Amino acid sequence: MDNELTALGIIFTEFYYWVTVVFMFLIHVGFCIYEVGASRYKHHTHTLMKNTMVIPLVTVTFFFFGWWIYFAFVNGPWIIGDLVAAPFATPWSELMGTHMGGAPQEGSVLTADDTAFWARINGVFWAAFLLFSWTAASIVSGAVIERIRPSAFWILAVVIGSFTWIIDASWGWSWNGWMVQKLGYHDAYASGVIHAIAGGFALGVLLVLGPRIGKFRKDGTPRNINPHNPWLVTVGLFLIYTGFWGFYVACNIPIIDVYGPAMLDVPDKSFFSATNIYLQPTTLSAITFNFLMSLSGGLMAAYLVSDGDAFWTYSGGLAGVIGASSGNDLYHPIQAMLIGAGGAILAYKMHYWVERKFKIDDAVGAVAVHGYAGFYGIVVAGFMLWGYPSSPFEGYAAISPWGNFLGALIMFFVLGFFPALIVSKILHGMGMLRIPREIEMVGLDINHESLRAMEAEDVAEAIREEAAASGA
Amino acid sequence: MSTGLVDNWLNLDTFGAIYPFVGTEGMLAVLGIAFWLGWHILQIRKESAEFKADMENIKKQGGPGKVLEAEAKREMNDSVGG
Repeated sequence: MDNELTALGIIFTEFYYWVTVVFMFLIHVGFCIYEVGASRYKHHTHTLMKNTMVIPLVTVTFFFFGWWIYFAFVNGPWIIGDLVAAPFATPWSELMGTHMGGAPQEGSVLTADDTAFWARINGVFWAAFLLFSWTAASIVSGAVIERIRPSAFWILAVVIGSFTWIIDASWGWSWNGWMVQKLGYHDAYASGVIHAIAGGFALGVLLVLGPRIGKFRKDGTPRNINPHNPWLVTVGLFLIYTGFWGFYVACNIPIIDVYGPAMLDVPDKSFFSATNIYLQPTTLSAITFNFLMSLSGGLMAAYLVSDGDAFWTYSGGLAGVIGASSGNDLYHPIQAMLIGAGGAILAYKMHYWVERKFKIDDAVGAVAVHGYAGFYGIVVAGFMLWGYPSSPFEGYAAISPWGNFLGALIMFFVLGFFPALIVSKILHGMGMLRIPREIEMVGLDINHESLRAMEAEDVAEAIREEAAASGA
Repeated sequence: MSTGLVDNWLNLDTFGAIYPFVGTEGMLAVLGIAFWLGWHILQIRKESAEFKADMENIKKQGGPGKVLEAEAKREMNDSVGG
């Protein structure tokens, strides 16, 4: 930081990620509002607190081990190599705190290069990834409302938010992850690494948790449990759209010399650009075009397919973005629009087919919008970007349909569905997964409501006494 | 007495970690993890106690059907100002 240009580059990067975090906070606000709108009155407080407490629990665990996993697990470990040392990301590292970038402490395993590089970027980079972690957990939260025990959900939230999703990011959403190197896996804006895994995870939990009481008739046909407040649901989804801007921008590295020594190391050449997470050059313009066009494709298709249903039209907008996100760094905007439309139709159709066929009660369509549309997004990118290099570095597999299809299976099933199924089975076996039946019937907030009723009656009694005393 | 390594701001280019008690990071990590795990244990206990109280409350009111009836009556009273 001894000259203005270096300082500008570093502090711009620091500020850039910080802004993405502020935007992404809105995703969580949106999810909380959305869930409260979707749940029934008698469950509101618990529904809100269930998702709110994702924030601290995933944050602290992401500090304790999630961040380290991202750097340490790029080789599997033991799929293509060993654990990778990441001393700047352990919870006891001096770089996980206020640091000015000078020499490391005596006896530290850190180098002077480590401290100079990570001192200003570590916290904001950690936070940008952390907000993705909240999103992954929050996606699951909506699917299981009104019957999961909050304690069980919070354990599951830590499993996906600070463990399984960050393993998938290490494998398939880092410049040197084994899936990128060996499969040519390409998922620039996280169709798979956030959405497919979270959808698969939600499905695994739902399978063990079961439907809400009253969701299915005796003959197995589903009843529609309408949102308590559809307007809150749509406001929540609007906020998620807004936060999505931060999500997209956080997937990029804002400025890097692609030919510089830290990257391709081409002598006498410079090319400063934003890159995606794989260090492939891209532009904010490209992703702005494609974000909006895929959102539009999703909204338009969902409006038609759902006959103008507000909930599904908004959800279709999300499914549109999610369906195109894998390749939204490279697609043409009209391709993004059409792919987005396909994602929305698939999510809508699959939701109701799975509900009828397998009696899965996904209260907010999370498995469909995130899981199926995310899976579809990865597979489509494999075809659309077939033959593109998956990395600027030599020796990596090219993007291919089979590489991305295998990647989609890993995201949805290996790191999403199966871990959720196993942990949910354990929690179920311990009697910790689902709230007691009687409480589910009357509502999780029964004691709050009883207390509120008693307090209201107490106030009414006081008013009656006052009125009697004054002769009114 | 000083809790940190900073005693002036003149040699900024040499500064590394500047939080108080540099060197205690390992212990802080253990404390932090214990706080997190302890929170889960306490929360699970509180939740079990809450559900137990909920069940007693439901039983006292005559079962889920009666609770729902009372709630419906209250809402009706609220909406008509009773």
